[in-house]
Amino acid sequence: MSRDFDVCIIGSGAGGGPIAYTLAKAGFSVLVLEKGPWLKEQHFTKDELACCRRNVYTPRLDDEQHVIEEEDKAEEWQATATGQSGWNFWNGNCVGGSSNFMSGYFHRLKPVDFKLKSTFGGIEGANVVDWPIDYADLEPYYDRVERLVGVSGEAKAHANSEPRSSSDFPYPPTVEHPISRRIDAAAESLGYHALRVPRAILSQPAMNRRSCEYSGFCGSFGCSSGAKGSSRAALLDHAVATGRCEIRPHAKVFRISTDSKGQISSIDYFAQDKGVQRVDARVCVVACQAIETSRLLLASVGPRFPDGLANNHAQVGRNLLFSAGGAGSGDMDFADRDEAGVAELRRVGPFVNRALDDWYTLSDPELGRVKGGIIEFLWDHPNAVVRAENAKWRDGELVWGKPLKRRLETWFRTDRTLNFEVFNDWLPNDNCFVALDRQVRDRWDSPVAKVRVGAHPQDQRIGRLLADKGERLLKKLGARRVSSSVGPAPPPNLQAGGCRFGDQAEHSVLDADCRTHEVENLFVSDGSFMPTGGSVPYTFTIYANSFRVADRIVAQLGGRRADSA
Amino acid sequence: MIRRAKPVTPDAKAANRPLDSWRRGLLSRRRFLIAAAGGSIALLFAKQGVAKADPDDPVDPWPILEATLEHMLPSEPESPGAAEIHALDYLRFVVADPRIDAEERTFILQGSRWLDELAHERTGKPFIELGFDDKETLLRQITRSAAGENWASTVLSYLLEALLTAPAYGGNTDGIGWRWLEYVPGFPLPGPGTRYAELPL
Repeated sequence: MSRDFDVCIIGSGAGGGPIAYTLAKAGFSVLVLEKGPWLKEQHFTKDELACCRRNVYTPRLDDEQHVIEEEDKAEEWQATATGQSGWNFWNGNCVGGSSNFMSGYFHRLKPVDFKLKSTFGGIEGANVVDWPIDYADLEPYYDRVERLVGVSGEAKAHANSEPRSSSDFPYPPTVEHPISRRIDAAAESLGYHALRVPRAILSQPAMNRRSCEYSGFCGSFGCSSGAKGSSRAALLDHAVATGRCEIRPHAKVFRISTDSKGQISSIDYFAQDKGVQRVDARVCVVACQAIETSRLLLASVGPRFPDGLANNHAQVGRNLLFSAGGAGSGDMDFADRDEAGVAELRRVGPFVNRALDDWYTLSDPELGRVKGGIIEFLWDHPNAVVRAENAKWRDGELVWGKPLKRRLETWFRTDRTLNFEVFNDWLPNDNCFVALDRQVRDRWDSPVAKVRVGAHPQDQRIGRLLADKGERLLKKLGARRVSSSVGPAPPPNLQAGGCRFGDQAEHSVLDADCRTHEVENLFVSDGSFMPTGGSVPYTFTIYANSFRVADRIVAQLGGRRADSA
Repeated sequence: MIRRAKPVTPDAKAANRPLDSWRRGLLSRRRFLIAAAGGSIALLFAKQGVAKADPDDPVDPWPILEATLEHMLPSEPESPGAAEIHALDYLRFVVADPRIDAEERTFILQGSRWLDELAHERTGKPFIELGFDDKETLLRQITRSAAGENWASTVLSYLLEALLTAPAYGGNTDGIGWRWLEYVPGFPLPGPGTRYAELPL
């Protein structure tokens, strides 16, 4: 049967990019359908309004939103549409997806993350399982990501370091701020071991991309130099250059249609100004980010899939993951330092690149040996308006006039705030899942995703243990007004799970190759596959796994084509 | 920022309350905005007996907004105020910007008319003719109601945007706000062709 393309990928972020790159390079025809626009380097500026106040890289919530279910004090689940609450669960709808706006903290998972159940045993109220693959299966792909996406760092022995097949990173570390050395010293004096954090940011020009230009504005901004390893800059541009990959922006897939045999018959999407379009392909890959991937499968009912595509075992949407933990901060007061010290603190541009990785597993007096997490250090986000906005409230009263001006002078001119963020496992549980909302629809009249965001109480306990360590380090550095908060609210930009992979169709959506158990030519290549999330940001692992899945798809399609470059 | 946090409610009084009241806080703000846009002054001040504005003779909101902005960010010899950062021009851009909720844009204009009505009622004068102390008293008075506080907070937010966003949007003239606060902006900055309304979104 003739097909329009060998492979159709829905979504162009970190899950989609490696598939497009690998398949196009291997000689296959690839179509990428992306809901958002195709913005390029020249469109990205350091514009706080665009990125963070008008949210122009994500849909208007009146047009497309989510419904979030949170538990209230009476332990009842309360649903609120994000159009009402303003709690935005979109993370970057444009070619390259949210990888355009990441900070690029690229930690690998560790071998223990693949075996949480067998290492630590079960946890009541949590659906912890071992992965169907080992660290060794993913390691070559982490290595591939370091080379192809471009990761800058320095491999140095650390008690908790994961094994590597290459001796070092392909690019030296990005330029670092003087505070980084002070963090090293403070950590050492506390008996901690600061780790140099690998970044998906080029420290040298390579692969037709420029080096980082150190503007001091990275996370939440699109990269104007091409140094940040977004799926767009690092992979899709190269895929398109093969002549075998087509990207269609403004293409919102609303259904994957299946026939009476349960085979995919078409991928149906709304094209800007063209109405409904259909394509077909030998293989379909879904990579819309965890929540939207589950939503699309659930919405794609067919004769053999009355409850959603690949959902005959009622697993799609379950065990959604976020990242548990929290954040802390301390102010480095200029008054505590001499002129040179102040000049050093005020330097803008270089990265902090430091994390504490001493408690990836830890012993808790009550819980025993458990999974812990990491603590990442970074300067307070440079956005100015948000900082000023915090200054307008004092003890619940608005401040304006000269008192506000004096306050702004103090807040902007007398210190610099160093933050830390804690990352620990969001335990999979029955109260964290994606379903279709019965009432709210998007602008194409499709039901929106309803997301229940329940967290396991152990997450907060571990997060608090780690945050206390982060506070200790900030105090050792001489920071003032040190505080931290750890709560149950999920960070919407750190999502995974919903279509976990596993060996049994009764308990998982995907097989070990991330092919759906129920449809042979349907794959999921974003973070949805993860049954447990690990304690680091997800993008590196999503990239690595997607490269692994890409190799399986090449094999399923008969191997590399002889005519490919 | 690696983890994106849950937004804090615009009503800072509710900011540190538990989950369910955070949710109610946001919902009620939204309801206030919508109801307020419908035009009920009682909502803004929770007061009785205020005369309705004459619909055939609508008050020009811009001089009232200008006076409010200058009161909230006064000019001083060593530091810029609303006038120097062109906050009024910036607010005109905001009120014309389809990216911002229509309700919020209406609310900004409507709130200034209510403020003026209250000025007439309390002092017999329009808001713009009041001295510093009377303006301060009146503005403090309106923040005692949730809708009035929302209005003042909203105006203040856009005023701070005018102070600290890229000059291409009409405020922060030549980066005067950044220089005052010794703030180092990023690069490249938006300019003609890359302001968000001009992007191929």
